[in-house]
Amino acid sequence: MDFQLLVDIFPQVLLDGLILGFMYALIALGYTMVYGVLEFINFAHSEIFIVGAFAGVEILLGLKGAGWLDGLPWPLVLLLLLLAGMAVSGLLAVTVERIAYRPLRSAPRLIPLISAIGVSFFLQDLIRLVESIWRNAFNLVYPTLDALNLRFELTETIDVSVKSIVVIVAALGMLWVLHLLVNRTKIGTAIRAVAEDQAAASLMGIDVNRIISLTFFIGGVMGGAAGVLFGVQYGLINPYSGFIPGLKAFTAAVLGGIGNIPGAMLGGIVLGLLEAFAASYLSLLTGGAFGAEYKDIFAFSVLILILIFRPKGLLGEIVRERA
Amino acid sequence: MIRATLAVGVVALSTWAVAVFPRSILVFLLFQGSLLWVYLARIPRWLRATLLAAALLVLMPLIGSFNGYYLEVATQVGIFVALALGLNIVVGLAGLLDLGYVAFFAVGAYSWAIFGSPQANQIFGGGFPLAPGWFYVFLGVGLCVGAATGVLLGLPVLRLRGDYLAIVTLGFGEVIRVLANNLDKPINFTNGPKGITPIARPPVPFGLPYSEAFYFLVLLIVCVVVLVNRRLEDSHIGRAWEAIREDELAAQAMGVPLVRSKLLAFACGASFAGVMGVVFSAKQIFINPESFTFLESIGVLAMVILGGMGSIPGAVVGATVVTVLNLQVLKGFSLWLNELKNAGVTVFGMSLADLPTQLEPAKYERMIFGMILVLMMIFRPQGILPARRRARELGKP
Amino acid sequence: MTALFEARGVTKRFGGLTALHAVDFALDEGIASIIGPNGAGKTTLFNVFTGLYQADEGSVTFREQPLLGLRPDQITALGICRTFQNIRLFANMTALENVLVGMHARVGLGLWDVLTHRPRFHATEGALMARASALLERVGLLRQANEVARSLPYGDQRRLEIGRALASEPALLLLDEPTAGMTRGEAGALMRLLRALVADLRLAVILIEHNMRVVMEVSDRVTVLDHGEKIAEGPPQEVQANPRVIEAYLGTRHSGGPRRRLAER
Repeated sequence: MDFQLLVDIFPQVLLDGLILGFMYALIALGYTMVYGVLEFINFAHSEIFIVGAFAGVEILLGLKGAGWLDGLPWPLVLLLLLLAGMAVSGLLAVTVERIAYRPLRSAPRLIPLISAIGVSFFLQDLIRLVESIWRNAFNLVYPTLDALNLRFELTETIDVSVKSIVVIVAALGMLWVLHLLVNRTKIGTAIRAVAEDQAAASLMGIDVNRIISLTFFIGGVMGGAAGVLFGVQYGLINPYSGFIPGLKAFTAAVLGGIGNIPGAMLGGIVLGLLEAFAASYLSLLTGGAFGAEYKDIFAFSVLILILIFRPKGLLGEIVRERA
Repeated sequence: MIRATLAVGVVALSTWAVAVFPRSILVFLLFQGSLLWVYLARIPRWLRATLLAAALLVLMPLIGSFNGYYLEVATQVGIFVALALGLNIVVGLAGLLDLGYVAFFAVGAYSWAIFGSPQANQIFGGGFPLAPGWFYVFLGVGLCVGAATGVLLGLPVLRLRGDYLAIVTLGFGEVIRVLANNLDKPINFTNGPKGITPIARPPVPFGLPYSEAFYFLVLLIVCVVVLVNRRLEDSHIGRAWEAIREDELAAQAMGVPLVRSKLLAFACGASFAGVMGVVFSAKQIFINPESFTFLESIGVLAMVILGGMGSIPGAVVGATVVTVLNLQVLKGFSLWLNELKNAGVTVFGMSLADLPTQLEPAKYERMIFGMILVLMMIFRPQGILPARRRARELGKP
Repeated sequence: MTALFEARGVTKRFGGLTALHAVDFALDEGIASIIGPNGAGKTTLFNVFTGLYQADEGSVTFREQPLLGLRPDQITALGICRTFQNIRLFANMTALENVLVGMHARVGLGLWDVLTHRPRFHATEGALMARASALLERVGLLRQANEVARSLPYGDQRRLEIGRALASEPALLLLDEPTAGMTRGEAGALMRLLRALVADLRLAVILIEHNMRVVMEVSDRVTVLDHGEKIAEGPPQEVQANPRVIEAYLGTRHSGGPRRRLAER
């Protein structure tokens, strides 16, 4: 085993892990916020996330088709993409809640979960159907923005691309805004009140339905932003590519303590790092017997272990005492 | 009397239709529907039994002898009926949402695939495949391996809350699939994504063609599974499962050992899948990890939900409808659309030939499953044939 | 010789809150009531007795066998069964099925018996049915045997819960506010039933009750809890006159302030 190699790739792996981790963190917020308020796993959140990526690619392809892509400054394009992804995903999340979850709110817990699984599958094929008709293709490639692909060489072995920085900065910005929103505004207080006790919150004059919609919207917005960043970072998307990242983001939410917003961020980053290191080092450490293809198993194993040994997650879960 | 005549007439008519129309899925559904009607109709027990036996044991194989298509569909339906009944125990009776059910099916399938093909030589050096007669032994092996996997998975996770359990079983299903995909190295167990072939088929008595033999085998297993299901349901075991589904804490306080009961549910459900896995691998001759995806698990779940959680006739109907929708209706629609395209038909002034080529209706299984799940949950969570509470005669004590 | 059921120094904490503090309790026969203001720790005590909570300190024995560390179903199998303050029937199962589930611990059949339907199976199931209908008759629900529990009237649900608990053949029955929400007449009838059960089945009963009339009428002995501590114990009349009890109920020490609420379920 080449020890020097292990050391040399370390910073690069760290960076990749961080990017992945921020992505998971953004998606995990959607799961965790909804769980905190309704004690319900929004299984369709993975599709709400990937719809953001599709909204982004549509804008990009549209701009490219109109020949404007090279004329506009890249930060503006990026902002446009993010806004589109956030709006589409946010609205989709609200719509899904309204149609498929709200009628089931008083049903036994597994009923809305099964409905959510159904929505997830339905949306996957709906995206496929729409894109097949519209573009005659559902495996789409993000057109490259040259500025984003610039790379800086930090040292001989590490280089950082602009888009990596953009992803991290954007994710941090979103997380910060969310933090302010939840902890410093009236809306945030209302969300926390509904999470604590729906009946009491409604007696205090809070419109519970509106707050729940809002929670889905915020979760969707975060997911949509993550979708756009996912597209920008990895380039290739299809209607089914949200599923696994969604599952892992859920793992991240559980890892950090479900219902717990800082927990979701921490869980996302920890999981991203774990996964990046597993993907790069597993093969090196086992002499190629087990490679990066086991990284998914790795994430699920983390999920199973955490649920068995520390079901409340790293930072503790924050949910109502009783549904 | 009128009902009895009607029942005979309905079966006769639908059989005639199946015999006459070579490949019509509607006709097949009609046939299945008539059987269901006979099952539910208020006719004397002996007549019901005779009609069902005649239709399934005589008419269907007869039709199959000159038209393999229906027999194939019936066999596939049978496989999924057994799977749905297995999952019904776990989800319907015990109320444990298992999203990785297909993993047990995979474990059964791979157990025969590896030893019933030259694949095992990669592990043990030589001496394989086993003689085809071992297939029948492996039905038992599949049962045990399925049950053991169920217990192995169940032990750590059954203490979890219901929704967490769902996600963990989903993860487990994916783990099994990833393992099947990648355990071609360092030792080649599964031959990876390329899959395993040729898998030995069992020796068949009376010189029956394979298609008929598999039909009878599947039918036999389905009958056993139904019997087992009914006996479990009508026993203290089944009552304990339902109690757990209704209120876990109260059930425990009434003396139901939670972990043991849940493990038993998991193991029972998994063992059915294990047996069917063995049959499936022999029937297909070839298996690869693609047959055991999350999609399949959800498909089986959709069958249980559609029919009605906890309902045995429901699971049968759900499996039939979903399999037929999935295998046949979507494909049929695809073919039909292609024919229209090729014929240059126009709709609303738009030529169908201009339809995007990527639009393949056959590929929209997920949409169907998804719609089934959402619509059933919202409008009819008890399913189309809900589990009926059995009223019982109580003598004066 | 120790008592049939004995608890010594039972302490239970939730985080920083001490829900039960060194509670002693013993019962040999008859009906013992536990009373106390809301949040005094009565249900918590039941939950410790039946294994739903693990006590932090102390010991509980039943027929000289230690109970702490056992699971609820094991405790039920030993002969202690309970009802719940907020009725917890198996809502979608029939009254009969509810009672049958209560017998689970007494069914001596294995998986193999069930699958093969051996003669043993039919004999056992037959016996279960007979006993279930006898029990339903006892609690006055034989006619509703095949009705789904959810659709029964409130009073019937309460009685069904008692029938279900009796199905496990307990020697000690714990009833958590069985007359809550009942009219005077219903409560009286229920208590007559309870008295008869105690006499016929040689049953010991621990009763949590808010209805003082019921308590004074039916109990052989009364234990008073307040803030997780036992403040009085003795025959009903004696306890009724105890100044500490009066104080706890009238709340002079905490006038006006809301009582702290414990995790009472």
